[in-house]
Amino acid sequence: MDFKALVENRHEYAKAWKAKTGGKVLGWYEPYFPEEIAYAAGILPVRILARHYPDDVSDKWIYACCYPVRDMVNQFLKGRYDYVDGLVNVEGCQWMYNSWEVAVNNNPKLWNHYLFLPDHTDAPTSKTVLRSELNVMKGLMEEWTGKKITDEDLDRSIEIHNKNRLLLKQISEMRRMDRPLIHGAEMMQIVLASQLMDKAEMNEILEKFIPELEARKPGEDRIRLMLIGSETWDTELEEMVEAMGGDIVVDELDNGTSYYWNNIIPQKDRLMAIGLRYLGRPKNPIKDNNWRRRPQHIFELAEDYNVDGALIVKQIYCHLHGTDNYAVWKILRERYIPYHFFERDTTLPIEDTRLRLESFMNMLKPGLTHLAGWHKAYGE
Amino acid sequence: MAKGQKWETRPLDFWNKAKELRAGWQKSIESKEKVVGQGNTFDLSFDWQAAFPAVTVIEDNPVGSMMQNKNEPYARKARLASEVRGWGREICGYQGNCWGAQFLGYIDDGTAWPDRKFVIPMPCVCDQHAKRGQQARDFENMPQWMADRLIYFGEYDEEREKPMLEHKVYCNYRIINDMERIFGQQFDEEECAKLMAGSKEVREYSREISYLMARTIPSPLSVKDLYSVYTIGGLTKIDPDATVQFWRMVRDEVKWRAENQIAAVGNEQFRFIEAHPPSWHYMKYYRYLEQYGAICLGSEYSHGAGSNYEVRPDGSIGLRVDKTYPDDMEMTTREDIIRVGSGALARPAGGFKTNEYIYRDRIVQFAQFMQADGALLAIWRHGVGCTLTRKEQAMYLRDAGLNVIHYEGSQPGDRTDLDEKRLLDQLDTWMESQGLRKVTE
Repeated sequence: MDFKALVENRHEYAKAWKAKTGGKVLGWYEPYFPEEIAYAAGILPVRILARHYPDDVSDKWIYACCYPVRDMVNQFLKGRYDYVDGLVNVEGCQWMYNSWEVAVNNNPKLWNHYLFLPDHTDAPTSKTVLRSELNVMKGLMEEWTGKKITDEDLDRSIEIHNKNRLLLKQISEMRRMDRPLIHGAEMMQIVLASQLMDKAEMNEILEKFIPELEARKPGEDRIRLMLIGSETWDTELEEMVEAMGGDIVVDELDNGTSYYWNNIIPQKDRLMAIGLRYLGRPKNPIKDNNWRRRPQHIFELAEDYNVDGALIVKQIYCHLHGTDNYAVWKILRERYIPYHFFERDTTLPIEDTRLRLESFMNMLKPGLTHLAGWHKAYGE
Repeated sequence: MAKGQKWETRPLDFWNKAKELRAGWQKSIESKEKVVGQGNTFDLSFDWQAAFPAVTVIEDNPVGSMMQNKNEPYARKARLASEVRGWGREICGYQGNCWGAQFLGYIDDGTAWPDRKFVIPMPCVCDQHAKRGQQARDFENMPQWMADRLIYFGEYDEEREKPMLEHKVYCNYRIINDMERIFGQQFDEEECAKLMAGSKEVREYSREISYLMARTIPSPLSVKDLYSVYTIGGLTKIDPDATVQFWRMVRDEVKWRAENQIAAVGNEQFRFIEAHPPSWHYMKYYRYLEQYGAICLGSEYSHGAGSNYEVRPDGSIGLRVDKTYPDDMEMTTREDIIRVGSGALARPAGGFKTNEYIYRDRIVQFAQFMQADGALLAIWRHGVGCTLTRKEQAMYLRDAGLNVIHYEGSQPGDRTDLDEKRLLDQLDTWMESQGLRKVTE
């Protein structure tokens, strides 16, 4: 299965889905958006991805040094998302909010909603606030689509989404092997595709794909890297790492592993169950503002996936990751995990990035026992 | 106003009192007898700390701004100390300065960085405010409490407000209770009720001052004057009684000036507004523009309680009335007091930050209230909360007939990217394009 093509052809996919089902397409911005509720209403939720195209329109509307959000505005103003019927933003990054509201203001026909999800996720009252807000959103979606969302609809949606996350995690577990059967770029394409496609259809694809994956032969030894930092919109970086003999065996991106890491634990109150999943998911910087849970999660992933080093790749001018970096650097230093930090934009400066990666990977190589065939002691 | 008209102007009498109060505040945060915390009035709209026998609070924003204003080499050194430890260059300058000072261990005059014992980040729509508490606790283990700035779109919704209000009250209640437990100090509920009454009085004075600035020509006070004192009793926490007395004094003087046409700028010809904190490190531009007879009346930020005035369709001026608890509401328990102190609304009715989020066109109402001719809207590369939706606000103001320009810099507490020469050139062009000339020419 060519997952990269699924991501690249996302607009065509959504248009075809609309033509086939007559349903509505809902764009979403923040990975804390509970797709389950929209899906239960018969809506196709699609992640809005940044892509850089020449931009001569966004500056009038938005001042943001964060280029992905300007690129999103650019795409909306240029009509690339003209098939989207609604847009929803979840309380999170403020630039992302700005991008959402400009898109909405420029298209009054778009159904829109701002979901308040507490930044303080840990208070006992946070879950009641979120449950109430989910109920409001559910009601508005029912009004918009003219379809009552029943408990059965929610159960089915939760089951499909849980299954999707489980399948993604199942594939992810295969990256823990000494010589993973799937590399970082392909994995990220799968995760991105899951955010763009009908989940039931994606689950079928993944169920067929997993046996194919298991039948693959392990490749050569590679430098095992972890990717930390701002969200990604493509797999250019992962591909570059692979071309240089490395592999991103695990990531801690908001739209990477964090997207599928935890599941909904069913309970009678479906909205509470959904809310608890989102309050309890691996934290991104804005939601990790009480106790610092994110650095420890990063460390655990690094341990579990036996990484040789970490790449911390921050979107330039991302104030949230800029405020979290200190704690991430600190834990990696304390645990003696080598890392390399750099800033990027929507587009990746090829030569500059390649040189940085090469230096970092050359620095790691002499100490890597597995590259000298150490894994063979276990009969792999 | 007639072109070339001149009014009498004179120095402000409250100036010296303000200096004295600020000096007292500086002494209080250096006191070893008090539990000093980093934070703000969190979600209680009054000076809650004074209800404890010995607790005081320092807020990063004025401290970081003053560092940059007073000592550029030191502020750069502090930000560098943050950056080498992993903090982004693009984070808020207030925090970069303060955290750097914490790492360095001293402040710009060489004295020790005042030790903090707890931290309460101010709930705010600004992401940087929400993230600011962690550094203090990372640096030295100390208690931290959180709360949320609660936002939703659309009309006031009682059903949505209920759980949000409980969340707000819970967070505030927990802070007070935990502080008692951890620091062994008794929270005085009676004192708290008095503080709330005092705070209400100060809000009335500040509204009156805003009204007088906005509706009097020539304006009796410029925002440059207001900025010299406006943190007193708020971000710069002093004795609550002294706060009330001070703001009464300011109100009385501004009222007298308005009644007697004593101008802040003697050649007032052009009135303009802003939208957020100015460059605290480069306040010279206010005086520079005064040479053209241009007076800055401030922003929704600088006017706080006074930013909720509106010009109604019939031309009358009125306040957007917030939902409040009745004045005679019984307050017998701590929960009652904290509930009333937290306010009757979970989502703020409007004003600074909320307007930029959900009522972006209200800046036009503010400009009309201020009788403004133009707007100078800063955009900050490193200040997401200070810049959000600014471009859109500029469009609304232009549509309403105001002459709007932007200037760019790092952040109000970070001088790095502000090109002073370019700013002054821009301001010359802005003024001259409207036929205004410097009085010296």
